[in-house]
Amino acid sequence: MNAISVRNLRKTFQTKRKAAGLRGSLRALWKPAFQDVEAVRGISFEMEAGELLGFIGPNGAGKSTTIKILTGILHPSSGEAAVLGYVPWQERQALAFQIGSVFGQRPQLWYHLPAVDTFYLFGKIYELDDGSLKRRISFLAEAFEIEELLETPVRKLSLGQRMRCEVAASLLHKPRVLLLDEPSIGLDVVAKQRLRMTIQRMNELEGVGVLLTSHDAGDIETLCRRVIIVNHGEIVYRDKVSALKRRYLTVKTVDVRYNEQLAPDFRLPGVEMLKVGRYGAKMRFDTRITPVEPVISGLAAAGSLADVTVSEPSLEDVISAIYARTEA
Amino acid sequence: MGSHLAFVLALWRTNLLSAMEYRVSFLTQVVGMMLNNAIYFVFWIIFFARFEEINGWDLVDMFFLFGVVATGFGAGTYLFGNAVRLSSLIASGQMDYYLSLPRPVLLHALASRSNASSAGDFMYGLLSFGAAVIFSGTFNGLMLLRFALGCLASIAVLISFLVLVQSLTFWIGNTNLLTTNAFNAIVTFSLYPITLFDGTAKLLLFTLIPAAFIGALPAEFVRRFDLLQLAQICAGGGIFLFLSVFVFYRGLRRYESGNAIQVRM
Repeated sequence: MNAISVRNLRKTFQTKRKAAGLRGSLRALWKPAFQDVEAVRGISFEMEAGELLGFIGPNGAGKSTTIKILTGILHPSSGEAAVLGYVPWQERQALAFQIGSVFGQRPQLWYHLPAVDTFYLFGKIYELDDGSLKRRISFLAEAFEIEELLETPVRKLSLGQRMRCEVAASLLHKPRVLLLDEPSIGLDVVAKQRLRMTIQRMNELEGVGVLLTSHDAGDIETLCRRVIIVNHGEIVYRDKVSALKRRYLTVKTVDVRYNEQLAPDFRLPGVEMLKVGRYGAKMRFDTRITPVEPVISGLAAAGSLADVTVSEPSLEDVISAIYARTEA
Repeated sequence: MGSHLAFVLALWRTNLLSAMEYRVSFLTQVVGMMLNNAIYFVFWIIFFARFEEINGWDLVDMFFLFGVVATGFGAGTYLFGNAVRLSSLIASGQMDYYLSLPRPVLLHALASRSNASSAGDFMYGLLSFGAAVIFSGTFNGLMLLRFALGCLASIAVLISFLVLVQSLTFWIGNTNLLTTNAFNAIVTFSLYPITLFDGTAKLLLFTLIPAAFIGALPAEFVRRFDLLQLAQICAGGGIFLFLSVFVFYRGLRRYESGNAIQVRM
C-alpha cells in the first residue's frame, strides 16, 4: 500500500508586483498588480509504506510547498493527494495523529524550556497516557542519544543536538510517516551524520516511512533508496539513487604520477587531458565512450607508475548537472 | 472535549513554566502593570471627588467596571496571549506549527502564549473588585458568581473581537496598525462609563467596537442582578465567539504560509 499518493498536484500563489521606487509604490497603491506564481506544477508520485524517499531541488523548486500540502498546512490549487488514506487539507487533524513533521527552520521545541517539557506537552497533544509517554521518551532518548540533553533548556543546545531532539519529538506518537523538510540545514558534518544515522535507525526499528527534502545530496545518498528531483515546481528526475549514480556517475577523473619523466606528447585515445606535467598527468574520460581497460593499460604502458587516483563526481555535482540541464 | 481541556491545561502549564524561567522579569512585569493601572485609576478618583457622578455612574461603579475589565482582560490575554499577536502569526507564516499538530488551530494558537504583564492586570482587577465590594457594602456568594460570569463574558467578547479584527490579515495582508488601533479603542472605550454615550456612539459600542459587552454591561450585571442584562451578555459573548471562529476558519483557507526563520518562545 502506498503511504503517500500524489496526482497532478498544483499550487499557485498570487504575489503582488511593484516597480522600484516611490513612483512604483504610488502606482501599486492606486492600481495594484498581481502575478500568479506556480510553486507546484502538476506533480505526481507515490511513496510506499516504510520507504525512505528523497525529495530534492534548489531553492524555490516547490519542495516545501509540496510537504506543506501533504501535512494539511496548505490547500492545493488543484490535484489530488492522499497520505495514509487521508486527504491532508480535508482531514488535517486525523492525519496529524498518524504523521510527524519536522521543518528545519521552524522549531517545535519551546526555546526557553528543556526539551522534556515540550515532550510532555506533545504527550497531551497526541493523547498519550503518562505511562506510555514516559516509556516512549526513555526509548527515544536512548535511540537518539539525547538522555543528557533532555533537561537542558533548548536555547543552550547546539543546533545538531536541538535537531535530534526535534526529530525525537516528532516521533513521540509513533507516526507511520515522517515528513522532514531540510532537517540538516545549518548542521556541521558530524551532526549531519548523527542525524542521518538516527533517522535510518528509526526507519529500521519502527518501519516509519520518511519523505525527506534536503539541499544536501549527502542526506539523500546516505538515507534514501529512491530520489525525486524537482525544479521549477516540476519533477525532472525520479529513480533509485543507485540508478542515478549508474546513469550519471560515468565520468571518471584520473590523477596519475610516474617514477620517470613522461613523454611531452603523452596522450591517450578517447581521453581528455586536463593537465600534463613532467612526472604526472590529470585526465578525464566517459566510460560510456571509452572503456576503462584500455585507459588503464595505456597508463601502465606510458612508464613506471608511482600512484594512480580514480575519482568520480559527487552526487551533488550530478544533481547540479540535472538542474542545469532542466534550466537549459 | 475532555481531551481538549487536558491539552489546553497542558499548554497553560507550559506557558507558566516558560515564564518562570525568568522570574525577575515576570515579577517586574506583573508589579509594573498593577502600578500602571493604579495610576490610571487615580484620575477617576480625582474626577469623582469633584463631580460625584456621571449620569448615574459613581466611583463605586468605576471600581466594578475596572474590576471586570482588568480581571477579564488580564485573564483573557494571559490565557490566550497570542490573541494580541495573531495578525503577525498569520502574516509571517507561523500558523504552520499549529496546522501541523492534531488540535484546533485557533485554540492552539491563542493559548500558546501568556503575557506576564496580563497577570498584573488580573490581580489589579481582583483588587478593584474587592474595593468595589467594600465601598458598595454589598457582598454575597451570588455577587461572586455574577463577577465570574461577567468576567467570562468579557473575556469571550474581547478575545473574539481581537480574533475577528486580525483574521482580516488573511484577506488584506498585514493588519498590525489596524490591530493596534482596534485594541486601543476596545480597551479605552470599555473603561469609560457607558452613561457618557448615547445614540450612534452607544450603538457602535455594542456592535463595531463591542466595548459595552466587555466593560459596562457585565459590570452593571455584577453590581445588581438583571435577567435582561444576563441574556445580553450571554448573547453578546456567544455571537462574537461564533463570528470570530467562523471568520477565522474561512480565512484560514487562504493562508499562504511563509519561510521566515522562527523560534518558539
